[in-house]
Amino acid sequence: MASGSGERQHASVASQFFTGAEDAAIDMTTSEKVVDLLNQAALMSTDDKLTALKQVQELIINKDPSLLDNFLDEMIAFQTDKSIEVRKFVIGFIEEACKRDNELLLKLIANLNMLLKDESVNVVKKAILTLTQLYKVALQWLVRSKSVSEMQEACWDMVTHMKEEVLALLDSDNDGVRTHAIKFTESLIITLSPRTPDSDIPKKQEGDISLDRLPKDHSYIRYDVLSEEGKSALEKLLKFMVHPAISSINLTTALGSLATLARQRPMFMSEVVQAYETLHANLPPTLAKSQVSSVRKNLKLHLVSVLRHPSSMDFHSQISTLLLDLGMAQGDIARCVPAAAQPRKRPRHEPYSEGKRIKIEPTLIEDDEDKEEPAPVVVPKPSSTTGTQSAIDLTAEFLLPLLTSENVANLVLISMVYLPEAMPASFQATYTPVESAGTDAQIKHLARLMATQMTAAGLGPGESEASMEESGSKDPIIIRKVSAVSLGQAISVVGAYKSPTAEETPQAKKLPEPIMPSTQPKAPGSSGRKKVFRLGDVVQPLSDSQLEKLTNMAVKRILQAEKAIARSGMSHVRVKLLARLMTQFEGAMKDDMLHFILEDMRARSDLAFSLLYQEYNQYLSQLPSGSLDSYEHCLFALLSGLQERPEQRDGLFTKLVLEAPLITESALEVIRRYCEDESRVYLGMTTLKELILKRPSRQFQYLHVLLDLSSHEKEKVRSTALTFIKRLYEKDHLREYIEKFALNYMQLLVHPNPPSLLFGVGDDTEVASPWTEETVRQCLYLYLSLLPLNHRLVHELAAVYTEAIADIKRSVLRVIEQPIRGMGMNSPDLLLLVENCPKGAETLVTRCLHILTDKVPPSPDLVERVRDLYHKRVPDVRFLIPVINGLEKKEVIQALPKLIKLNPIVVKEVFNRLLGTQHSEGSSSMSPLTPGELLISLHNIDSTKCDMKSIIKGKSCFYIRNLFLSNLSSLVGSCCLLLFVVVVVVVFFLSFFLPISYFVVLMPHLAFDVLKNLNFSCMMQSLKSFSHTGYVTESGYI
Amino acid sequence: MPSQPLRVAVVCSSNQNRSMEAHNILSKRGFDVRSFGTGTHVKLPGPAPDKPNVYDFKTTYEQMYSDLVRKDKELYTQNGILHMLERNKRIKPRPERFQSCKEQFDLVITCEERVYDQVVEDLNSREQETFQPVHVINVDIQDNHEEATLGAFLICELCQCIQHTDDMENEIDELLQEFEDKSSRPFLHTVCFY
Repeated sequence: MASGSGERQHASVASQFFTGAEDAAIDMTTSEKVVDLLNQAALMSTDDKLTALKQVQELIINKDPSLLDNFLDEMIAFQTDKSIEVRKFVIGFIEEACKRDNELLLKLIANLNMLLKDESVNVVKKAILTLTQLYKVALQWLVRSKSVSEMQEACWDMVTHMKEEVLALLDSDNDGVRTHAIKFTESLIITLSPRTPDSDIPKKQEGDISLDRLPKDHSYIRYDVLSEEGKSALEKLLKFMVHPAISSINLTTALGSLATLARQRPMFMSEVVQAYETLHANLPPTLAKSQVSSVRKNLKLHLVSVLRHPSSMDFHSQISTLLLDLGMAQGDIARCVPAAAQPRKRPRHEPYSEGKRIKIEPTLIEDDEDKEEPAPVVVPKPSSTTGTQSAIDLTAEFLLPLLTSENVANLVLISMVYLPEAMPASFQATYTPVESAGTDAQIKHLARLMATQMTAAGLGPGESEASMEESGSKDPIIIRKVSAVSLGQAISVVGAYKSPTAEETPQAKKLPEPIMPSTQPKAPGSSGRKKVFRLGDVVQPLSDSQLEKLTNMAVKRILQAEKAIARSGMSHVRVKLLARLMTQFEGAMKDDMLHFILEDMRARSDLAFSLLYQEYNQYLSQLPSGSLDSYEHCLFALLSGLQERPEQRDGLFTKLVLEAPLITESALEVIRRYCEDESRVYLGMTTLKELILKRPSRQFQYLHVLLDLSSHEKEKVRSTALTFIKRLYEKDHLREYIEKFALNYMQLLVHPNPPSLLFGVGDDTEVASPWTEETVRQCLYLYLSLLPLNHRLVHELAAVYTEAIADIKRSVLRVIEQPIRGMGMNSPDLLLLVENCPKGAETLVTRCLHILTDKVPPSPDLVERVRDLYHKRVPDVRFLIPVINGLEKKEVIQALPKLIKLNPIVVKEVFNRLLGTQHSEGSSSMSPLTPGELLISLHNIDSTKCDMKSIIKGKSCFYIRNLFLSNLSSLVGSCCLLLFVVVVVVVFFLSFFLPISYFVVLMPHLAFDVLKNLNFSCMMQSLKSFSHTGYVTESGYI
Repeated sequence: MPSQPLRVAVVCSSNQNRSMEAHNILSKRGFDVRSFGTGTHVKLPGPAPDKPNVYDFKTTYEQMYSDLVRKDKELYTQNGILHMLERNKRIKPRPERFQSCKEQFDLVITCEERVYDQVVEDLNSREQETFQPVHVINVDIQDNHEEATLGAFLICELCQCIQHTDDMENEIDELLQEFEDKSSRPFLHTVCFY
């Protein structure tokens, strides 16, 4: 758009030429060419554009400067070009144009100001370079003008303002910008200080303006103000140089600038040498080794160049010492000292008015005396030049006599403590063996070195004196005298006739406007004064969402930097940092972090632990009001994360549980879930067991969980839990609790309906379902597994048993087999139970007796108890059955009538037991009755004691038993074979056949019963085998 | 990245071996490069260490070539001098002296410390005018063919890295430190102004 409007203007300009100036053929062609080039340039690529613009510049500045004004706007329009190079070119053009026609400064300075704030550092740098040149041009131009217009004043104000801005760029973030700012400062100091006869003046700058050429009576340019500005610029530069983190390039640049200053303005020689000394003793610690060598090389080069200058005479000793330290040979140094300067004593401080080149000397000699009354007092021998210089000198003088061998030795010993571990690069590079140790020169040098350090640190007598002097310098007259004398110049230091605030008033007038409509608003109030940087002015608080986002991103970065940090060996710091950060944040971030940990729990367990501890710590630090929520959430998330994760083989879960400072309810819940998982039950329970054993304060809480699991519906969970409980049961302090729990559980059996507890639902729920085998078992698992370990518990079972309903009783009888057998018949408690047999528990006792004697013959002890019980308390013959083998013959025969009255199945069992078929071969001999005796006693049963029916039933049972017995033949014996046959036949006839037929007729149902008992098919088979052995067949009877 | 290619100067003592090798490679990589020597004369090895062939900077490579062919063709073929001159004359007609060149550069690379000192001294002795900065970097290279080739590649890599920085002056310090670590040799570095 800008170039479009430019083109229109060209057209009008061009047409003007065509119509108005026909005779000026050369002009027309040049102008035409310019128009053409500008038109083309607007559409060209960067490179071609630059070429075209360069041609235009050549044409309108050098070939035909009259065109400059015409095409100025068109050229300047390119300052908004996208290309950096084009913008840089425009800056160059501004410089050339202003140099050619100073009046253009009025228009162009504002454009330069805009470009000075360009976004590209390269453009800014170019603008600084141009300002370096234009500052001098502008000053000269103003000085030359007889009367200064308001426009010119505004222009100069803007230049001054820009100058301040560039000086402020000494603090820029960009190294290159700082470098350029240093060079600008150098040039500024030279311009704003007077040229003296001993100044080196580069040929090309011969005609440049400097302070001494300024008229004192200029209407707008204030000599003293500018002089003051120059000094403050030097101060800035010196201050910049001692910055501890100065970059090597900035330092190099500054060193070079100081050398230039010293040569062109010898009045600053002392400051420069001073700065060199300070720097040499305090090389910035940030420099790398090679940078140190580069800087030292530079320092050497510049020192030599300063040494060569005649005005450095006063400082030869200092410079030589520095050069020696930098490794230059004494001979080389001597060669650098200018021969002309050898016959010294040309008074360095003679008034510069003697200089021949200075044209306006009369005014200068007058100095500003027209405004200040006292004339400068010429002091014949100024010993020192500035405050700092004298401070160091004084301190050095003070130190010199103190540097005795003893003191120095002590200093060395004391400072040994402060030596760094490794030799710093700068020291390594700078160290040169002290050749002249102990000589006066070396001691002086040492004193000076120390004085430099002490002054820099604000110590020593010189420093205190200097500061006193400075505080005294409030009086403008005194300072003026001192400085005037010491510098050999009559310069007013303070603008006494005009306060600095008054200086700002002209700023209010209109500043030059840039040619292009500028989008950058100017801040007129800030012009001409350096802005003070205040953080609060330039930053704005972030919004909450931004804050959160940035926090999130920062934390994420720390999280993701895992590997990089691990490589650098600083993982522990990262872990600590994360843990600390996390505990301060709420919500999503925490979850993210936990998620991150769980992604690779194994590798990140340290993070998990420190997070957990940190959370706990947080809780503890807020006691007693602190809430455990955060900690609980963290632990819960970690544990359940681990639980949900498949294939967690290593013991991280256990580790986490055991190392957690506190197991909360929810965590315990997770552990419980873990235990309920069949694939992890072992690990889970091991963990739980460890918890119980190692956390005594809450062990019962944990134990309760384990106990609860002992009645779990999953068989594996249950059995594992029982195994663990049995192990824990061995611990004395846990035993009571476990027992109590088991008994309580068993106690539930007395309820008419199973309590809701068993169904794993809330306590409030009414459950009316009846007891089932399953629920009964549930109540007994734990108890039964404890029973073999503690026999005493059996009595409780008996107690419960008596109260329980029939269904439960049945179930109980079914489940006790295993544990009772485990107890064995020698268990005193079991015996006691048998002995005491509570009322209602007879069936239980009987069952126990049966279980006990099922496989092995009863012990005498047991027999004794049973007998006792039978005789004294419960005369139930059924008690005797299990121990029948242990009874005496008489007792058996006595009991026989009662026995055979019982259910035939039972009768059969009695016979089994008596005949020893129940147990192994060896123990059968225990039987109190031989089969024969039994047979006989059966027949001898008094029918009065027992009804016929039972006897027959019993007998039939007996026979059937016997038919299978191979040892029968041996029992009855071959001798009695015939007798036996007869007896059998008779017996059968008498007591079998007849009654059967009788029964069959009279009591068919009974007969049927008997037949059933005989088990028909077996009978037949047996009879067959009988016939084979030659015994009588009785098939006919049946 | 600066849109303008860097203006580079490579400087050694005689503008024959090291600077020319680097000149060769850099110009092939598209740099705006010139090469110089800083010595008072151009010296080439002669039949014995104490008998070098000495020319002034006005002598063309071609002239040196024919002079050496005339003197001892076999010796100078065998030690590679003729080959080197052959290459040099393909690049430019004659050696140039740095001190006599008034062109401005962005980057001057020197091949030994003595040359660096001379370059820096020369630049500092000039009158400052534009304050345009020029960075001077020294890369130590031994004066033989192999080292010259290796050194040329190092210089080329360095120049490419500098060319690719967004803001050369702001990044050059760090870049050089990196290069020092990588090539394990120190670089002297300074800045001068035209």
